[in-house]
Amino acid sequence: MADTTSAESESFKILYFAGVASFTGTNEESLPAPLPITELFATLEKKYAGIREKALNTAMVTVNLDYVDIEDKTLVIQKGDEVAIIPPGMG
Amino acid sequence: MSGRTANPQSGAPPLSDPANPPPPQFIHEDPIYVGLTHAPLDIPGTIDKVRTPKAGAIVMFAGTTRDNFNSKTVKFLAYSSYTPLALRTLQRIAKSHITPPSEEHGGYSKIQKIAILHRLGEVPVGEESILVVVSAGHRKEGWEVAEEVLEECKRKLEVWKWEELEEGDGKEEGGWRSNREGVQPVGGPGLGCCGGRGH
Repeated sequence: MADTTSAESESFKILYFAGVASFTGTNEESLPAPLPITELFATLEKKYAGIREKALNTAMVTVNLDYVDIEDKTLVIQKGDEVAIIPPGMG
Repeated sequence: MSGRTANPQSGAPPLSDPANPPPPQFIHEDPIYVGLTHAPLDIPGTIDKVRTPKAGAIVMFAGTTRDNFNSKTVKFLAYSSYTPLALRTLQRIAKSHITPPSEEHGGYSKIQKIAILHRLGEVPVGEESILVVVSAGHRKEGWEVAEEVLEECKRKLEVWKWEELEEGDGKEEGGWRSNREGVQPVGGPGLGCCGGRGH
């Protein structure tokens, strides 16, 4: 968790869990900010081809611990935000 | 795709160093007590958290690691969490079941106190991964609420279960188990081992 990068000031942190982390091969990374939430999945798909179908379509998203609507056109991820991709629960 | 690691363990949760586990996270705001910890769950201690003279029943559910899944041998389960959010979700679930006194329950609350604990990291076969403990004036309400709480936790809690299987014919080392897709094999797409993916 103490991992920091030099681009921190212009980036947000994104967390991956369970099957999503299996796909990305990492639990956490920094991505450039700002980023409209509507572009998040496309950004990840570009970086990890196939992730949308295999992992993101069943997942939810939080920004700073609040669940958000990824189609919310007014929501822009800001630098320093903590975003998380939340896969389905244990059922 | 070259960045993807071939290490079969890449999908496994970071198993805590037994000598140096992350600190447990608890919220104790009587009448609720919730927490996430890498340590074995303390059953008597958790029951004590919900004791009250107003209760005639304490109902506990303990979820334990079973040694098999779909006729495969399970070596252990391991749980990872988005801990700050999961703690908040536990608190919200617990609080939502503390209702005001009502005529229906003889002028008392439906239940008195509630405790929910989830263990993280590796949980060996036979040990507890979750405790839901409810004290109530009467047993019926206790049973009811304990079951509702457990189902809510399974649906909503930001905790994920890794199933480590006994190696059978080579490839099957484990997978993430979720309610929508069954087991997700370690390597993601292309390594399908356990079925149940997609629809």
